[in-house]
Amino acid sequence: MKKINIKLTVNGEQHEMAVAPAERLVDVLRDRLGLTGTKEGCGEGECGACTINMNGQAVLSCLILAVQADGATILTIEGLQNGINLHPLQTAFLSESAVQCGYCTPGMIMAGHALIEQDRNPDETKVKTCLANNLCRCTGYEQPVKAVLKAAREMRRETDA
Amino acid sequence: MNVTLKYEGYHRPGNVDQALYVLTKYGDKALVIAGGTDVLPQRPGRNNTGIGKHLVDIAHMGLDYIKEEKDGIHIGAAATINSVGAFPLLSKPSYKVLSEAVACHSTQTIRNRATIGGNLCNASPCADLALPLFALDARLVIKGPKRERQIPIQDFYIGANLSALDNNEILVEICIPFCEQKAGTSFLKLGRQHTAIDMALVNVATFFTMNGQCCDTVRIALGSVGPVPFRAKKAESILAGKLPDKENIQRAAKAAAEASAPLDDIRATAAYRKKMVVILVRQALENSFRRYEA
Repeated sequence: MKKINIKLTVNGEQHEMAVAPAERLVDVLRDRLGLTGTKEGCGEGECGACTINMNGQAVLSCLILAVQADGATILTIEGLQNGINLHPLQTAFLSESAVQCGYCTPGMIMAGHALIEQDRNPDETKVKTCLANNLCRCTGYEQPVKAVLKAAREMRRETDA
Repeated sequence: MNVTLKYEGYHRPGNVDQALYVLTKYGDKALVIAGGTDVLPQRPGRNNTGIGKHLVDIAHMGLDYIKEEKDGIHIGAAATINSVGAFPLLSKPSYKVLSEAVACHSTQTIRNRATIGGNLCNASPCADLALPLFALDARLVIKGPKRERQIPIQDFYIGANLSALDNNEILVEICIPFCEQKAGTSFLKLGRQHTAIDMALVNVATFFTMNGQCCDTVRIALGSVGPVPFRAKKAESILAGKLPDKENIQRAAKAAAEASAPLDDIRATAAYRKKMVVILVRQALENSFRRYEA
């Protein structure tokens, strides 16, 4: 089995490494780069805990091989905050109590992030559609939906100010 | 680290000829991958750990286009399902059946990676994107080492999870001919999940044109109720040349159900699916008619 050299830009940092054909992006992020904010839940695209942003789009890092991501620009939950300042989505998830055990939270936030980057004024239906690939087994869905709407409001205000 | 996947090699051809070379070289050991959303999930009953397989990644061969040409809409096989759904022309009534199927397919996050060619070549009897392409009478462009061939999508499915593609062939393009006349179309899906494992219980696509007061061309495609997606031609012929009134639509819907051969499984009984075919076909035809009139 021949390893393949790949380049990734993750949260602004460039990485080069040799990966096996079967190594998935979620494994590389967590085990090689130590970015354990990205979770693996089901490993088959159902739960959305591994959602990250790749080249501007929300994608599931358990359904992408590292070799497929060669050359990609990746953003994970760790890259969202600005210095010590949390991203408005992170703040909103805290203030809306949209977190209980927290396992689904990074995926929810990264899915919400891709939406807000494209649309600063999403309606509730859009937010629900966007979070449809993210399962939560404790807090439920109302708070995360509210949190994404609140973050979008916050970000609109920042842009207007 | 996931230990179940065990691919032997990974190849990233830059064009179709290179891809065909790799496919021919590895034969049975080659496994085509584009988005990966069907290839990578490990599911019970599917022996797809990939031991000894060589992945052939066709996502970097310039096959991700969707464009309008003189004769119709041309979609590269590696175009993501979301990019297909975002193509403006597909929101028109004549083609809406395809953008509706996109919206019903899995989730936004999956559709950012999943490709239209992957959905077709996986050859699932419930492939959402196959049905609108049946309804729009699409043809598929297939390339092999010796020749390029074009086949109507109707000839693509030859058995459960089995397509007409040879081992060393690649689906490169989907062509949707322009619809010269005004048309109304619709896609409906009955399912319980809208996530990655989003297999429909029944899915239906319809296409409809009129000549004066009567139906002209009618196409009714059914999925998940037989080993392959198919056109319910007897049901279509019931409507052709007739008034699209309630009675004729109901007769066609019943004929469609008679043509279906669903299975009992963990998700639904065959009897339930058959009943739902009647309702979905009726509703899809009514939608198509309404859109034609609008």
